[in-house]
Amino acid sequence: MATGLKPLYMGAEAHIYLIEILGEKFVAKYRISKPYRHPVYDRIFRYQRTKTEGRILVELYLKNVNVPPPLIIDPANSLIIMKYIIGDKLSEVIDSIPNQQLSAVAKRIGEMTAVMHINRIYHGDLSLGNIIITNTLKPYIIDFGLAGYSSDVEEYAIDIHLLRRSLNALAPEKSELFMDNFWKGYRGVAPLLYEEVKERVYEIALRGRYVSERIKKRFEKYVE
Amino acid sequence: MHGEVLIVGFESTSHTFGVGVVTGRGEHVKILANINDRYVPLKGGIHPREAAQHHVKTAPRVLKIAIEKAGISIGDVSGFAVSLGPGLGPCLRVGASLARFLSSYYNKPLIPVNHAVAHVEIGKFLYNFRDPLVIYVSGGNTLIAVQRKKRYRVLGETLDLPLGNLLDTFAREAGLAPPYVVNGKHVVDLCAEKGSSFIPLPYSVKGIDLSFSGLLTAALKLAEKYKGDPEKLGDVCLSLRETAFNMLVEVAERALVLTSKKQVLLVGGVAANTYLKEKLSKMAELHNAVYAGTPPEYSGDNGAMIAYTGYLGYINGLRIDPEKAIVRQRWRIDEVDLPWLPD
Repeated sequence: MATGLKPLYMGAEAHIYLIEILGEKFVAKYRISKPYRHPVYDRIFRYQRTKTEGRILVELYLKNVNVPPPLIIDPANSLIIMKYIIGDKLSEVIDSIPNQQLSAVAKRIGEMTAVMHINRIYHGDLSLGNIIITNTLKPYIIDFGLAGYSSDVEEYAIDIHLLRRSLNALAPEKSELFMDNFWKGYRGVAPLLYEEVKERVYEIALRGRYVSERIKKRFEKYVE
Repeated sequence: MHGEVLIVGFESTSHTFGVGVVTGRGEHVKILANINDRYVPLKGGIHPREAAQHHVKTAPRVLKIAIEKAGISIGDVSGFAVSLGPGLGPCLRVGASLARFLSSYYNKPLIPVNHAVAHVEIGKFLYNFRDPLVIYVSGGNTLIAVQRKKRYRVLGETLDLPLGNLLDTFAREAGLAPPYVVNGKHVVDLCAEKGSSFIPLPYSVKGIDLSFSGLLTAALKLAEKYKGDPEKLGDVCLSLRETAFNMLVEVAERALVLTSKKQVLLVGGVAANTYLKEKLSKMAELHNAVYAGTPPEYSGDNGAMIAYTGYLGYINGLRIDPEKAIVRQRWRIDEVDLPWLPD
């Protein structure tokens, strides 16, 4: 598969090839073998992550979340063929989107994340690099290799923690505006999950190393 | 604008008491001395009070040797730099007290240094890196960061144990340590040399974040089961190391692709590990990035990194009043504004 064709994009764990089938554009996502990874893990991950991703893409597509619909899912060959979404990574264009439009984008991402979580699906790597923005500013969520099914609020909160961390690192000045609107969208779709998830997101941030607020929080308990 | 600047830096955040001396003019900097003395516990892990006592005892000697090695007179110093955190309180206070005293006595400026920032800056200095993806792994830290808008921004980190702590805790609980390092090799590496077959263990990555606690528990259970069988225990050591390093390299790769950096810099105490270096350099190569890992002399805690970062602070006007120079046991790398970093 990898021979001859030149990848359109080389991601962290897969190569993306642009292909045409019956006049329609598709991408082939091929999970590559890693020289630094133990062969046992290499085999398990390339199979399992492809399988998970395919399954979740189908489910989310049917639930009206903006994801590329898959055409062929072939875990044995670490391959998924899916619709080609034309756009840019949010990590690359976030600084050029005016605040008003960015607010709408963030809200829509919040809504889609809430739909995932209501359906017990977590993304596992929700970063700005895994959100594609089309030229009409429609956000698509991609790369579900670390995704999974869980009823644990922790997994949902980690999704949002990762998104916020990615914002703070790559676009610190846009972070607050983005997250405020994200939560608006999230709350609108999942009012019951909202409080619990938001509280957990805060707790997760405190778990980082050398967080001084953590110790303050512990003291507050005794003061009350 | 500046003449020759001479900075003496003090490191005492954890097990090491170190004094470094650097001199420089603008971007031309030279390390004149890097003298470090490490506290080695007789049993168990680091006892903060015992480590602090070690620092108190060894400080005058280490300072004297550093001054002699550098061939300077302490009166000629432009400023004193001190690592004010993060770290163990009793240990931090030894370096802080000494630096505050010298700064007041000689009436020279005191420059505050964040220990984590210093690990990164010395690595950048040694390899002349301007804008690397930073992988910082030590007994107290496991994080991935990039510089952006005057700060180091954390892209991912451990949600529970740091990598160095994982290896040390496993070694101690499995009866392999102390000492944790023998002839420059970690005891988990030595134990792994006896192993041959790989056992898959809990592997937990969340985006660019990591979690090692499940891995530690599973590895310790196996170590208990295979007690007294060096070959089987070797398999556990090998699998633990392999799993932990695979996780770290995977998240580093994700961060590298996300940020499109062209330099990868490994810093911190665990940076000396040859297996980790090998994996990271293979990963960097896949993305046409240049890889460098700090050499042992500068990867573990040391005085030179504090002196060098103090130098950067000094020429950028960073100062702290000795009376206000209190230690901070918790002081994250992403909380420090650094005037020398680009916008």
